[in-house]
Amino acid sequence: MSGAVPSAGRLAAIAVNTFREAVRQRFFVIVSLATVSFGLAAWWLRDCGVVACREKFLLDAGFGALAFFGAIVAIVATAGSFFGEIERRTVLAVLSRPVRRKEFVLGKLGGILGLLFVFCGMGTALLVGLLWCSRTLPEEQLPGAMLAGERVSLPAVALCGLVQWLRCSVLAALALAVSAYSRSSLLAVVASFAALVVCSLRSFAWDAFASAGHGLAGGAARVLGACVPDFDLYEVADAVANGGAVSPGYLSGIALYSTIYVGMFAAIAACFFWHREL
Amino acid sequence: MILLVNAVEFDGVAKVFRPGLFETPAPALTEVDLGIPEGEIVGLLGPNGSGKTTLLKIILGLLVPTTGICRVFGRPSNSAEGRPDVGYLPEAPEFYAFLTGTELVRFFAGLSGLAGSTQEDRVRTAIGRVGMESAADRRIGTYSRGMKERIGLAQALVAEPKLVILDEPTANLDPEGAMKFASVIRDIHARGGTVLLSTHQLDQIEYLCTWVVLLSRGRVVSSGPVEEFIQRCSEPALVVESLDEAHRSDLRCWLAARGALLRVARSNRLERAYCAATDCAAPEEGRSH
Repeated sequence: MSGAVPSAGRLAAIAVNTFREAVRQRFFVIVSLATVSFGLAAWWLRDCGVVACREKFLLDAGFGALAFFGAIVAIVATAGSFFGEIERRTVLAVLSRPVRRKEFVLGKLGGILGLLFVFCGMGTALLVGLLWCSRTLPEEQLPGAMLAGERVSLPAVALCGLVQWLRCSVLAALALAVSAYSRSSLLAVVASFAALVVCSLRSFAWDAFASAGHGLAGGAARVLGACVPDFDLYEVADAVANGGAVSPGYLSGIALYSTIYVGMFAAIAACFFWHREL
Repeated sequence: MILLVNAVEFDGVAKVFRPGLFETPAPALTEVDLGIPEGEIVGLLGPNGSGKTTLLKIILGLLVPTTGICRVFGRPSNSAEGRPDVGYLPEAPEFYAFLTGTELVRFFAGLSGLAGSTQEDRVRTAIGRVGMESAADRRIGTYSRGMKERIGLAQALVAEPKLVILDEPTANLDPEGAMKFASVIRDIHARGGTVLLSTHQLDQIEYLCTWVVLLSRGRVVSSGPVEEFIQRCSEPALVVESLDEAHRSDLRCWLAARGALLRVARSNRLERAYCAATDCAAPEEGRSH
């Protein structure tokens, strides 16, 4: 039965190739530069009068950029990589080898997760660096009111970056499932962004349906709701900005939650791709 | 008695595409029973839309037949187990522009399960066979179309497969490149490999292939050795090498009075046999009686 088990070598080859392709795309370079620019702009504006706490401002701006540009990278890089293989017809050459379709899908996902790890890691490292630099400035250079505010924990910021990566991973797996079904990359990108909106508003919908009672409609809504990840669960930046920490319990819980959804969307993508005529 | 072992077998294969819920299903292949013998250079012929690409994709497991079964070396074509023995060069390949030629061939070698020094040896050998040593370390994005075809052939050959499938391989090659391609194909044949070549270049099939499969409207019209096909499908003909326009008209009238056929003389015998078998029209004259 070893034939049914994906080969680690083939998965790794496809993942590495996907990563190398995606990381060299002009799109990725531009989005990365935009993220860095956003972080540097926040650094430049850190002492403006409308914010009470420079660290909170830096964190909000940094993680806001990471979440926004991370979502763009997750969706566009996934759809672009998948449809690039189809348009170039390289998928035909790859699948004419002893490569199963699920190995192709999982390899693609692996490469994109690697790309997102680099992207989130780079953004988080920049943010940690800016926070560290802001603490090295001489105190007399700062307006008194802006010195106030609790110091955020730098390890907590790093863990917050990890949580952002988990969120982007779920989104990338979702975009891959959409791409495996969709006939065009544009449709896949648009549908994935629509799904991102649904995931971001999922907690509101969940509350609304909970108040609808336990009837058939309420039950159906709960089942459907369970299929959609709740992106509100990934919002820890606020707590960290207010001096909170990322607890190991939360981290392991959100990692498990993300793994379940990534696995579910990868399985759906593999199923769609299995039935797709190339 | 010579026993032919088939590299590929089609058993009652039909393929119907269903483009949409309310659209009419489009049959691409109808009841194909076909054996492609091992160790032959097989030319796959047929007009556009005859089902050649569908046939190739079914062999590669990229399409699942609507009915029937296709076996490659005795194993169902849609199982990955049979595919280490198959190499494929798609039509007009693009490949990954950011990889060098060597990296591309190494990537496909890895997918075929090759590793370590064996992989490196095979990669070097495959690149050498297609004459791409000097450009192997350049990015594919800088390659010409012909070079892409050649590096594509190298990736198809890197695992030394028993069956090599080439889809329109020489469409973008200059004469020198086409000759190099032909010598590689003959080399595969000499080593006992099977080559399945889909092309519209009839002269190429006539001088290169040993076996021909002719498809028309999703059906196999003919399958057999090239010489046999030419003999079977050719009609008695008087070939006039050149004739000016005034005399051509006279000849048409003379032939028509005797119920005979006038067709513009074609350059090779296979082309005439192909036209007779597929009932295709001559480009200039058409058919007249």
